[in-house]
Amino acid sequence: MKAIVIGAGLGGLLSAAKLSGEGYEVEVFERLAMIGGRFTNFNINGYQLSTGALHMLPHGPTGPLAQLIKEVNADVVIKRQDDTAFMRIHEDLEKGIYKDVPFGKFGSTFSAWNRIKLALLLISTRKWSPKNCSLGEWITKNLNMPVAHQMADSFCGWALSLKAADTPVEEAFEIFENLYRHGGPGVPIGGCKAVTDALANVVRKNGGNIETKTEITEILVENGKAIGVLIDGQRHMSDIVISNIGHPFTNDLCKDAPTSPQYKQYLDKIRTIKPSAGVKICLAANEPLIGHGGVLFTPSAKRVNGINEVTNIDPKLAPPGKHLVMAHQTVQWDRIPYLEEEIDLGIADLEQIFPNKDYEIILAQSYYDGWPVNRSSSGTDIGNTTPIEGLYVVGDGAKGKGGIEVEGVAMGVKNTMNIILGEGN
Amino acid sequence: MKINDNCVGCGQCTAFCKIDAIIVKSKAHITDACVNCGVCAAYCPMKAIEADE
Repeated sequence: MKAIVIGAGLGGLLSAAKLSGEGYEVEVFERLAMIGGRFTNFNINGYQLSTGALHMLPHGPTGPLAQLIKEVNADVVIKRQDDTAFMRIHEDLEKGIYKDVPFGKFGSTFSAWNRIKLALLLISTRKWSPKNCSLGEWITKNLNMPVAHQMADSFCGWALSLKAADTPVEEAFEIFENLYRHGGPGVPIGGCKAVTDALANVVRKNGGNIETKTEITEILVENGKAIGVLIDGQRHMSDIVISNIGHPFTNDLCKDAPTSPQYKQYLDKIRTIKPSAGVKICLAANEPLIGHGGVLFTPSAKRVNGINEVTNIDPKLAPPGKHLVMAHQTVQWDRIPYLEEEIDLGIADLEQIFPNKDYEIILAQSYYDGWPVNRSSSGTDIGNTTPIEGLYVVGDGAKGKGGIEVEGVAMGVKNTMNIILGEGN
Repeated sequence: MKINDNCVGCGQCTAFCKIDAIIVKSKAHITDACVNCGVCAAYCPMKAIEADE
């Protein structure tokens, strides 16, 4: 059996590593001159910045991505520092008066009455998950206080690059459940690149091939089935095609897609997919700004949702004695035309959060549309299959329920592998 | 080289420019230092970098 994979990002490489280990002949084609997609590093002045995701796995060494990395025998070390997620709640932003509340004790800043309500909600919602509204609406109904909304925006922004008002409540509670199930974040030693490079090594060791600077111009479809791809006018045949570029771009490559009512329905679903937008500001610090290897959520900030300082876990991601700090902020869709202003508001937030600290900005990176934070924002995910037999979509455009960022990518790949290879493979 | 409307400002190109001729903030901007070597274009995920006429 032969599989062709479109795109050497995390989803494509995970799929290629798994299938090549199961005896498939695998070829991965990548348009760019580098592999790793939005999950690798690039070096600026000795600081290992990342192309997309932060150097962090949301559920650390015990999450779905770590499990899949282990399953395909990729050599990656993922380190977690326990109890290092905090919410920085500012009493006075101008004067810099704040306290860092442990993430699990976020309710301690609530009023007495809301603390009682929260305790009851924490029990009841695990049994009966809320439905049919956004997390923002649910908070308005149940815990209506500004700090609760700010915390929800900060968490959804960090995890999904969405406002709580744009996050379906079912999805939010599935994420909370996954945090109970899998635990908190960890850092891959060597950053994102360590993960994608290790996966590429597995693919090659299993006899698979990865070609960069190779653009697929068409997915060949015959009688409703994917039979290969077109590169430079040459046909490359395969039994299955796995696309890591999201549903809309995958469909664009299917020039002979069926005209069936089923395919029309698929096209209608594709139109509902909304990529999420965000800004990542990378700082070079001459002293630790956070001092731990977890996450600092920033509910009181105007734009920044959360910050990490991965050099507390892997010092090699910055020059000796320096720290690499990354801040993420959601960009709401109607603010995309005003990105420069959004970046300036983020920079102003950081000045307030870290007054008198010795750091400089290396780069502000923005993501939307064709190179977004997530190709399919939560609630607009349409799964891994297509109406075309033998054509599957993986990556952040097809993640699965409650899957945050790269954990969702791993969950989507796992689901796809179960479909292709059979359950319990 | 010149930047077209596809650019989202991901900043990937700056890392591969050997002479630091690209400044990025919300979009990439090519400075006069650019020697048109074209290396950056091979790393742009948005096909946003084109040869200058």
